[in-house]
Amino acid sequence: MRTALRRVGVTLVVLVVAVGLNFVIPRLMPGSPLRAIARGGDAGQLTRAQRAALLERYGLDDSLWSQFRGYVGGLFRGDLGTSLGDGRPVTEHIADAVGWTLLLVGTSLVLTTVLGVALGTWLTTSRRRGADRAGLVTSIALDAMPPFWFGMLLILAFGVGLGWFPTFGATTIVGGGGPLDVLHHMTLPVATLVITGLGQTYLVTRSSLLGVMGSTHLAHSRVRGLPERRLRSHALRAAALPIHTLVLLEVGWLVSGSVVVETVFAYPGLGRTVFEAVQARDYPLLQGAFLLLTLTVIVANLVADLTYPLIDPRVRANSNP
Amino acid sequence: MRSRPLLAFVLAVGLLAGSCGSDGADGADGAGDSDPVSGDTGQEDTTATADAVAGDLVIAIGGDETSLNPYTYVTGYPGYNLLMLVHDSLLVLDDGNVPQPALAQSYEVSADGLVYTMQLRDDVTWHDGESFDADDVVFTFEYVVDHTHPRWTPGVAAVSTVEATSPTEVVITLTEASPDFPVRPLADMPILAEHVWSAVADPQASGEAENIGTGPYVFADHSPDQSYRLEANPEYALGSPAAGSVNLAIIPEPATAFAALRAGEVDMVSSIVEPQLVSEFEADSGIDVISGPGFGSTMLNVNAGRAPLDRPELRSAIADAIDPQALIDIVLLGTGTAPNPGFLHPDGPITVDPLTHTFDPAAAATALDELGAVPGDDGVRVLDGEPLAFELLVYADNPTRIRTAELIAEQLAEVGIAITVAPLDAETVDEQVWPGFDVSNGRDYELSMWGWSAPVQLDAGRFGALVHSDPSIGGFNVVGLEDPDTDALVDEMNAAADAGSRSGPIAALQERIAELRPFVMLYYADGVYAFRPEAYDGWVYQAGQGPLGKISLVDG
Repeated sequence: MRTALRRVGVTLVVLVVAVGLNFVIPRLMPGSPLRAIARGGDAGQLTRAQRAALLERYGLDDSLWSQFRGYVGGLFRGDLGTSLGDGRPVTEHIADAVGWTLLLVGTSLVLTTVLGVALGTWLTTSRRRGADRAGLVTSIALDAMPPFWFGMLLILAFGVGLGWFPTFGATTIVGGGGPLDVLHHMTLPVATLVITGLGQTYLVTRSSLLGVMGSTHLAHSRVRGLPERRLRSHALRAAALPIHTLVLLEVGWLVSGSVVVETVFAYPGLGRTVFEAVQARDYPLLQGAFLLLTLTVIVANLVADLTYPLIDPRVRANSNP
Repeated sequence: MRSRPLLAFVLAVGLLAGSCGSDGADGADGAGDSDPVSGDTGQEDTTATADAVAGDLVIAIGGDETSLNPYTYVTGYPGYNLLMLVHDSLLVLDDGNVPQPALAQSYEVSADGLVYTMQLRDDVTWHDGESFDADDVVFTFEYVVDHTHPRWTPGVAAVSTVEATSPTEVVITLTEASPDFPVRPLADMPILAEHVWSAVADPQASGEAENIGTGPYVFADHSPDQSYRLEANPEYALGSPAAGSVNLAIIPEPATAFAALRAGEVDMVSSIVEPQLVSEFEADSGIDVISGPGFGSTMLNVNAGRAPLDRPELRSAIADAIDPQALIDIVLLGTGTAPNPGFLHPDGPITVDPLTHTFDPAAAATALDELGAVPGDDGVRVLDGEPLAFELLVYADNPTRIRTAELIAEQLAEVGIAITVAPLDAETVDEQVWPGFDVSNGRDYELSMWGWSAPVQLDAGRFGALVHSDPSIGGFNVVGLEDPDTDALVDEMNAAADAGSRSGPIAALQERIAELRPFVMLYYADGVYAFRPEAYDGWVYQAGQGPLGKISLVDG
C-alpha cells in the first residue's frame, strides 16, 4: 500500500514538472505565431504598431511569467485557452480530433498486440527453427519500414491501383459519413500502423518467451509431461510482464496519434493537429495536446506500476517486505 | 512463414472492400450545357477547353483555412482564392491581371488620379438575402482601417475619404495618386456586409456566421481539418457558378493529394505539380494539366549588411558564377522562366524592359581575384584572412529549393566559394531572415533561398518594399540593403501618378538592383496544375497566379 501511495506521489511530481515543460518547450522553438495570427500569410505587410496590436490581442506581448500564470490558472478552471490559428477553444480542437485518433490508433493497438503476441508465441514455440528465423527476419524488416513510405505504397497499390480503398480522409467528402464509410477509410491507415508496428510486439514477445522457455520450471513441467498447449500458456503468463509494459507504454501513442500516418492519410486526428500546431507555433494548442499526451502517459505508467503485482507474484512479494 | 498473417490481413481487407465497394467521389455529371469560359492561358498545348459544367467538384487543398471569412482565412494561396469564391470585390482581375468590373460596373478617375467615382450594380444581394449597396462599400473601407488586416489595411492607406453619394455610387478620394489602386485594393479587397460586420467588434474572433458574401458560392459547411462545402449561389448577379458545389478536401501531403486525383477521389489539386510528375500526368488519360507562367520568384538572398557580403563586388561575383538556366533545366526540367536580375518577372504587369542574367564564371573569378580573394590550400578563397565560406539556409520541406541550393553550392565551388546548405524548418528560416516579420529587427543569416509570392509582382509599392532602407517603406528589405540611390528611385517610383511616368523609375530601379545584387534572381517556376477533365474542364489560367478561383469557376 505504501509503495502504491509513493508511486502516486511521484506521479503527481512528474505531472507538475510536465505541465511546466509543456509551457516552456513550444516557446523554445525559433519563430513566432505571428504568421498564424496575422492570417492571409501576409504578416510582413503590417506596420510595427499593427503587429504589436496583434501580439497584444493574443497576450503574446505579456511577460513569460504572466503567460505562465494565465496558463496554469486556466488549467485549474479547465480552460486550455484558444488556438492562435483559428481562435477556437483548444478543448474543442482536441475533442474534434481525439475521437478519430482513438478509433484509428486504438484499433491498430489492439490488432498489433493480438497479432504480435499470437505470432510471437506461435512461431517461437513452434520448435521449427526455420519458422522462428523467418519470423525474426520479417519482424525486423517490418519494424524498420518507415510508416510514411509504407503508407504511400498502400495508397498507390490499394487506393490508386486496385481502387479498393479511399486514399485519404476519415469519410467521403461528398455524401459520406456512415459507419461502413468510416471503416472503409480507416482500413489503409490501420493496416499501415499494424504492419509497421507488428515487429516490435513480436520481438518483445519472442525475446521474453525465449527467456522463459529456458527456465527450470518449464523444463520441469515438460518432464512432467504437460501438453504443449499448457506449456505455452504457462510460458506466456511468465513472459507477460514486458508485453504488458510495452502495451501500456504505447497507450501514449493512442492519444498523441501517429503524426506521420495521420498526415499521409489526411486523417483528422490529434497527431495531425500537433503537427500543424508545431508548424504554426500555436502555443495554446500545443500545450493542450501535450498535456493530454502527458496525462495519458503518466496514467498509463501508473497503471503499469500498480498492476505489475497482479500479473507477477514476484513483484508482489518484493514490494511487501 | 511471415507472409501468412499478411496474406490473412490482405484477404480480410479485401473482403471488407468487397462489402463496401469503391467510391469514386467526384460526383461530376458533366451536364454539358454550359457557356464556355475563356480558356486562353497563352500555352495552347496545355490550355483547358471549357465546355463542361461540374456537379459536385472536389478540390484538394493543403490545410484548414478556418472559417474562411475575410478576417480568418489562413493562406494567401489557396485561401484567398477560395475566400473570393464566397465574396466579391469592386473590381476583379482577368486572366491577364487587368482589372475588370465586378460589384462596380464602371468607374471614372479624375485627371489628377485622386478621385475614383464608382457606379455600383443595383442587382446584387448578400447570401442572407439583404441587398448590397454603397453603404456596404463605405463601411468596408472604414472597417479595415479600424480593424487591422494584413492584406486590406495597407491597401487603403492612401484613401482620404469614401462617400456614398447614392445607393449605387461611391466616391473615393486619395491623398496621393496611385496607378496600382484599381489592382489593390479595388480588385483585391472583398466588400464586407455592413449588416453583418457592424456587430463584430473583434474580427479575430469572427467565424462562419460572418461568412456572408455576395460571391458565386455560398459557404455551406466546414468540418475542421477535413473539408469545406461551398454551394452554388443561384442568385449570383455577376455570372453563373460553373459547379453545383465546390468541395474542398483538406489533404496536407501533396503526394496523397495527387494519388487521390489519380484514384478519381478529387477532381483538381491546388498544389503545383512537381516537374518530375508532369509527364506522368500528361500520359494519364483521365488527367489533364494546365500550365502557365508563375509570378512566384525564387532567389538567393544575400545579407548585404554582413561582411564580407556587404561588398557589392563580391555579391556580383556570386551572381556571375550562378547559372540559372542550368537550375531551370535540372531542377524544374525546363518548366520555368529565366530571371530578370532586376527582380520583376519579364511578363509581369508592371515590368519595364526586363534585363537578362549573364552566367560568366571567368568574370566572377577575375572579380574575386581583383578583390584580393585568393584560393587557400583547400581551394576556398580567402578574403581579409577569412575563407569565403557561407551557410545557405533553405526550407527543409521544399525539395525543389534544396536541390537548387545544392546546385548553387556546386557552381560557387567552381570559383572558390564554399557553401554549406542548411535545410531548416520554415519558421526557423523565416525567423533568421525576417525576425518577427519586421526588417527593423535585423537579420541573422549569410545566404538564404527565398521567394516572394505572385502578388509582389503586381504592384510597384511592394516591389519598392524589397530594397528601400526605411523600414516603413522597405518592409520586405530582408537583405538589409542600404543605398541612397536605390531609395531615391523607389521614392520616385512610388510618387508617380500614372503608369506612364512610373516606367522610367521602374526601369532604373531594376538596373540598380542588378548592379548591387542584394539578391540573385534564379527563376520563376511555371505553375502546372492537374485536374480531371471528365469532372470539369473549364479551368482558366490567370497569368502568374494559376487557375484556382472565380476566373475558372464562374461562367460569364
